[in-house]
Amino acid sequence: MSNPPVFFHVDLDAFYASVEQMDNPELRGRPVVVGARPGGRGVVSACSYEARVFGIRSAMPISEAWRRCPGAVFLPVRMGRYTEVSRKVMELLREFSPLVRPISIDEASLDMTGTSRLFGPPVEAAALLKTRIRDRAGVSSSVGIAPNRFLAKMASDFRKPDGLHQVDPGSEEAFIDAVGLTKLWGVGARTLARLRELGLDGTDRIRRLDLKSLQSRMGQAGGAFLYKAVRGMDPGLYPETARSHSISAETTFGSDTADPELIHLALLDLAHHVMHRLFDEGGSSRTVTVKLRYGDFTTISCRSTQGRPLSSAEELHRVGTELLAAKWDRSQPLRLVGIGFEDVRGEEEPVQPELFPSEFDRKGIVEKTVFSLRKKNPRGAPVKASLLGRRPRGSEED
Amino acid sequence: MKFTCEKDALIKEISIAQEIISSKSALSILSNVLLEADNGALTIKATDLKVSFETKIPVDVSVPGSTTVFCDKLLGILRTLPPGDIEFDEKENDILLIKPLFKKIDFRLKTIGSDKFPELQIAQEEDYFEFSQKDIIEMISQTVFAVSDDETRYYMNGVYLEKTDDGIVMVATDGRRLSYIAKKPENHVADFQAVIVPPTILNLVRKLASGEGTISLAVTDKNVFIKFDNQKISSALIEGQFPNYQRVIPTEQKFQIQVDREALIEALKRVSLLVEQKSRRIYINLTGNSMVLSSEESDIGIAREEISCNYEGEDAIFALNYLYFTEPLRVMTDPMIRIQFTEANKAITLRSTEEREYFHIVMPMQLE
Repeated sequence: MSNPPVFFHVDLDAFYASVEQMDNPELRGRPVVVGARPGGRGVVSACSYEARVFGIRSAMPISEAWRRCPGAVFLPVRMGRYTEVSRKVMELLREFSPLVRPISIDEASLDMTGTSRLFGPPVEAAALLKTRIRDRAGVSSSVGIAPNRFLAKMASDFRKPDGLHQVDPGSEEAFIDAVGLTKLWGVGARTLARLRELGLDGTDRIRRLDLKSLQSRMGQAGGAFLYKAVRGMDPGLYPETARSHSISAETTFGSDTADPELIHLALLDLAHHVMHRLFDEGGSSRTVTVKLRYGDFTTISCRSTQGRPLSSAEELHRVGTELLAAKWDRSQPLRLVGIGFEDVRGEEEPVQPELFPSEFDRKGIVEKTVFSLRKKNPRGAPVKASLLGRRPRGSEED
Repeated sequence: MKFTCEKDALIKEISIAQEIISSKSALSILSNVLLEADNGALTIKATDLKVSFETKIPVDVSVPGSTTVFCDKLLGILRTLPPGDIEFDEKENDILLIKPLFKKIDFRLKTIGSDKFPELQIAQEEDYFEFSQKDIIEMISQTVFAVSDDETRYYMNGVYLEKTDDGIVMVATDGRRLSYIAKKPENHVADFQAVIVPPTILNLVRKLASGEGTISLAVTDKNVFIKFDNQKISSALIEGQFPNYQRVIPTEQKFQIQVDREALIEALKRVSLLVEQKSRRIYINLTGNSMVLSSEESDIGIAREEISCNYEGEDAIFALNYLYFTEPLRVMTDPMIRIQFTEANKAITLRSTEEREYFHIVMPMQLE
């Protein structure tokens, strides 16, 4: 007899802030805001639950966070440290199931089907998992249990923080109604507005429509998504075949700038940071993305796919610079630039070596060496001369 | 201008002209084909400014002259007309009247004066040298499939054409595999600097050349010119530095497999059905005189095929992109081929068992 499908979704609570509170016990119980430097113009990357009480949220301008709670502890993003803790958690998850799919630095989806002989009923397994994460990685987590990944994701969010919620088979629709339309994953402000216009203000009302009429109102893909979502069926949250993700970093300038040298350097710094994260996880990617934001918050993203995976930060920087040159209207100063990789593949992907090593391959080897040195000794490792004296800046992962 | 010609004779040439023309918008001179009637012949010219095509066919000229018309529509008209003779008559007010003889059909196409048509590049007569059509077609077939389509490596987007002491060499690579052929023609080959030739013109030659007699070639700094069977084609060259290919050609290989080419192609066709299509990685396992091709096990399943071969080395396994294997095999000419290798992570050489002027190099994939 085949086992009924069981999925866990594990979400680390206020992850960056929790790591900071773990590393510095004095911060525990206090509002902690991780992100740009107050007084500057960046945004909040993460905040502790104590800070959320003041209405502080991720992606809020740092100045707004400061206004809401000047007494909070404001800290810079220490991506390397979060990655380290994240890796510990992911390793630990693999003790529970071989089918772990990391979604981001602080989220993972696990296929726990057929593991009850090893760990007992799902709720017991999830409780054990939460305890282990707390004991070994020092952070708290929320776990959702459900017959598919989509429901598991929403269940993990249902009783955050330190939550544990199971959606039993048969109770999917009741759970969706309890979550409600506004918190339904994949339903954004525009979809919501459109649904309201149509008088569809609840998941139960949407469920009364058949697929065809839903699609005629919300479009082919949108209709199909909603049809499945309100029934608690996985509308394709994580495509089964794609195991890729993206890595990116961005920086907000102290004041809007059109200084090509400053922008060039910022991009170089970001390229090194992003490449090191790619090295660190042993992934590879051919697709480079660049993001730029003007003073009026007009944001442009563009991408370029290369014929082969990029091998060094210099190459990433070169492609990024070309993309920027193509998109940036130089008469308008920039508020923010970002660079990243899309469609990052894991190290299990087959590698096709080259007949002719490129100049970037050689640079990549040097960069990898420097990177491993820096990992061992963050202060003593060589730094690219043009980046000397630059303060580490915040970054985020999609 | 006024001339009469047979529909089928014209349609072939106009369809080639249309293949060259990249601009498909009406009212642009680059969308037009040039027709020039004189001395009992019609000259047809088309260009996209990179590749140019010129051909001559015998027609019955009553008034010499020249003009240009929208090639796409001319081709469309010719395709729908019944077989037989067609009269082309240039009228005043920039109109070309197209009228099949003895039919009540009347097309009037707007023309643009031939003086607006771009001047096609020409080479000096003394720059041309003769080459066997059969040889050039073989050289193109052995290499052109291996060029890179990665525009960021534009210098690999064409076939490298090089004059050596005793002949000419063509090499193509996409950075992971490489195809090489050298020919030693009996007649004199003019000296020229090595150039990178876009595949478009080479594919055209392969398609249009009869394979009989000779072809004339001229290479200048920026262009290559080819003349054969009343046709002239030219193309701008790709600028850039072709990689130092000599460096990656293995001078010596330790092991050698001899295998039936057709049997290998057929086995690859079957096993590749279950190979993951992104990496196209296929495994080759050698034990004694058996060669096992297999796919990786996936959610879909696994494929495995054993074929016999001649191999005396130790047991070995390597992995390859199956396309890099199949494509050279398809153009190789003898029933038996040799696969030469040294280590699983070093370049592999594919050769014919007969001594031929070509070989193919493939970089294997990592096993894990």
